[in-house]
Amino acid sequence: MYDGDAARRLARIVGSTLALGAGVAAQPATAWADDTNPAGAQSGEFVETPVGPGAAAPAPTAAAAPGPAAAATQAGPAEFVEQPVGAATAATAPTSPTGWGPLGFLSTAAHSSNLLGDMWGLRPFLSQYGMTLSVVENSELFGNLSGGVRQGFEYNGLTTATLQMDTQRAFGLNGGLFNASALQIHGDNLSATNLYTLQTASGIEADRATRLWELWYQQKFGDAFDVKVGQQSLDQEFMVSQNAGYFINTMFGWPMLPSADLPGGGPAYPLSALGVRARAHVTDDVTILAGVFNGSPAPNTVGDPQKSDPYGVSFPLNGGVLAIAELQFVYPGPGTVVKADEEDPLARTYKIGVWWDSESFADLRTNDLGQPLGNPLNSQTPASHRGDYAFYAVADQMIWRAEDPDRNINVFVRPMFTPLQDRNLIAFSLNAGLTMHEPILGRDDDTAGVGVNFTQVSSGATGFDQDTAFYSPGVYSPVRHNETVLEATYQYQALPWWQIQPDVQYVFNPGAGIVNPDVPTQKIKNELVVGLRTNITF
Amino acid sequence: MLNFRRLGQAGALGGVAAALILAAPPAQAASVLEGLRHHATLASTITDNGDLNPYAVVVAPATSGKIHKGDVLVDNFNNLSNLQGTGGTIIDYSPASGSTTLFAKLPQNLPQCPGGVGLSTAMTMLTSGWVIVGSTPSADGTTATKGPGCLLVFDSNGQLVTVWSGTHINDPWGNMAVADNGSKATLFVSMSGYDVPGPGKLDPATGQPVVVNKATVLRIQLAIPASGPPKVTGQTVIASGFAQRADKDVFLIGPTGLALIGSTLYVSDAIQNRIVAIPDALTRADSAGTGRTVTSGGLLQRALALAATADGHILATNGKNGQVVEFDPASGKQLAAQWIDSNQAQSPPGNGDLFGLAMAPDGSGFYYVEDDVNMLAKATP
Repeated sequence: MYDGDAARRLARIVGSTLALGAGVAAQPATAWADDTNPAGAQSGEFVETPVGPGAAAPAPTAAAAPGPAAAATQAGPAEFVEQPVGAATAATAPTSPTGWGPLGFLSTAAHSSNLLGDMWGLRPFLSQYGMTLSVVENSELFGNLSGGVRQGFEYNGLTTATLQMDTQRAFGLNGGLFNASALQIHGDNLSATNLYTLQTASGIEADRATRLWELWYQQKFGDAFDVKVGQQSLDQEFMVSQNAGYFINTMFGWPMLPSADLPGGGPAYPLSALGVRARAHVTDDVTILAGVFNGSPAPNTVGDPQKSDPYGVSFPLNGGVLAIAELQFVYPGPGTVVKADEEDPLARTYKIGVWWDSESFADLRTNDLGQPLGNPLNSQTPASHRGDYAFYAVADQMIWRAEDPDRNINVFVRPMFTPLQDRNLIAFSLNAGLTMHEPILGRDDDTAGVGVNFTQVSSGATGFDQDTAFYSPGVYSPVRHNETVLEATYQYQALPWWQIQPDVQYVFNPGAGIVNPDVPTQKIKNELVVGLRTNITF
Repeated sequence: MLNFRRLGQAGALGGVAAALILAAPPAQAASVLEGLRHHATLASTITDNGDLNPYAVVVAPATSGKIHKGDVLVDNFNNLSNLQGTGGTIIDYSPASGSTTLFAKLPQNLPQCPGGVGLSTAMTMLTSGWVIVGSTPSADGTTATKGPGCLLVFDSNGQLVTVWSGTHINDPWGNMAVADNGSKATLFVSMSGYDVPGPGKLDPATGQPVVVNKATVLRIQLAIPASGPPKVTGQTVIASGFAQRADKDVFLIGPTGLALIGSTLYVSDAIQNRIVAIPDALTRADSAGTGRTVTSGGLLQRALALAATADGHILATNGKNGQVVEFDPASGKQLAAQWIDSNQAQSPPGNGDLFGLAMAPDGSGFYYVEDDVNMLAKATP
């Protein structure tokens, strides 16, 4: 509320004008007043206290000298204090507000962007060389209350350490960025033990490991073009939906289709692949992102790709080629003008893309003799196909913005499909949802969201299931079709470095309709999954 | 106490200086923003000690010491841990060479500055080479531990020579407006710290931190001797009663941007989301209160720093999106806005990324900072 009386009182007080004599510098140390009121120092209107370089040293004893602190104590707060400062001051005073000792970081932890502050001096040391170190822990406890193969909860965690070096700050080379990151994956995998879903419950689920993730160098050439070379995880740049990123189910990150269809799941967490990526800002609104990578992120495409490269240092180049290109349209782009008499359009990003992989892909339904693989009496060597490709699109669109724009609602949708149904498990996948920033007034760093993931298995896979049922009539062999996951989540920003995220998911037709291995006469029943994730930035 | 004789002298000199420096605005001009469509990132503003969050942008008006005319000075408000009100560095970007050097670095704990050092958007360089910077300090990154701060005077080699503090100086916050004729200068500085509590003290009616209507704009008159640092010859609170409050994300919100056109000072009143005019700013002897509203709402979204264009328009950076807004102060008409930070990682794009800006003196556009990426950038035709 506006306090008019207080404002008027304040105006009377602070509206007073004080003029200061130009000759103040010639006056000796201690108090001095303007020439109309020699007693000004006593009334506290103006005090100038020149202090010699020695006295200005920041030692606490300086206040004992007849300096400004003394004047303020005697006459109340001074209206003006001028203190010449010695050159040694900057060199001798403490440089960091972070407290001392191993737990000193706690003194600023409530407001720092990272829990450990300067990390006992490591971060300032690295900063001298243009380097920044980020360490983030994601920990979560998820479980299914119903459905699945069994019920229960599992703990799952990921520590990601990333070291980056800005070459301009390090040695004056403009536009260069070196990046190295490593993962420590711990805990257990609920989706593998309980859920048996295609669309796994958490994006950090992976085999336990300590492994290199990304290792690349990026160089900008002006603002319009940059190139990145090295081991890269494509989920960091390609097919990205800004709003989908708030959700926990894996497929809101790296989607279902490439996860299932690309060799090794594609170069995405926790894997990566050697390659080159170029980005060109064709106009302020239009960007082209394209790259060529090793066809598989793992040296061996049979079995668990993570186990074939357990430390992430195999750097395989023995596969084919994965080529990917994405056309992005963004509004607003830098330089977009909004006329005063026009409605300011809502922000949006649209992307379309395609990938192609030259590796060999096994047919899902037919063997190398053209016979059904579903017949157990036939050769189980699948027919082989050269190459694979798919198309995708991503749309993020703000649909509502409050008068205070911190509060807004956005929607997203991300479909992708491949026409090659003979060699791909997934023919179509879709992510869609809605997010709201500041869902509770005053909680402007929180985000709430509801989303849906849908995936459709290919005709090759359903055909194999049909063949299996035909050739094994006594065995319960359901035909897989699709799987749907609903998710609701709330990302609560507890502190700048700490997020807490309760989450609930419901899975329809887990595994697209597969047999429960513990009850071979039934499909796996629908699953209610609940959990809590926390993200801590160290 | 008032000293009207000196006030009058200083006011007259300031008025002359302003008249010399600021061309009279034409009645009508096309939007400047529509002619500035390219945006180039120029340099990182992060310093060797890891200071972050660039705030003030100042273009050097003269060559002196380490600084060359046309260089761009940028200060940092946060330290390496991103604690607000703890940054103590100023960089010097040279458009000629494209290189960046450290101009000055201060410790966070500086006894002469009440509360310490956290360099704010209140920065200027005088033609005589002196660099004057405001400190709005905090011990823990919030206003709960803030001090009243000070104004710091550096020589043109980056050496701190003098610290000014006192009851009229309480968290110098927004970009300065300056009338400078060499031997004398007049500074205008917004003070946004009077009795602002920590961000945890909420107004039950709004759920937001309590608003305190005590922010001021202080006019400081300087004499610049041939040798030695500037001397303060007068202080006058020419505007007062502006809304100010703490904020957990942006430290505090209060009157921020200042732009002087003729003898009128324009002030961005961030909480009220408006621009106000303070008449006779160079000469008035009293407070104009919160002045006259020139424009409000519309394209403004928490207006922060202001910069006057050569055409007599004013640019204002928005705190709540990545736009800069152009308006005609004579008519109060908002002309256009332009997205100069469209980072979609924030919602709306660029939310919280902008703060300081400064016109390039050769008419080639304007400089601004983006604190999402800690970069200095420039808008050009």
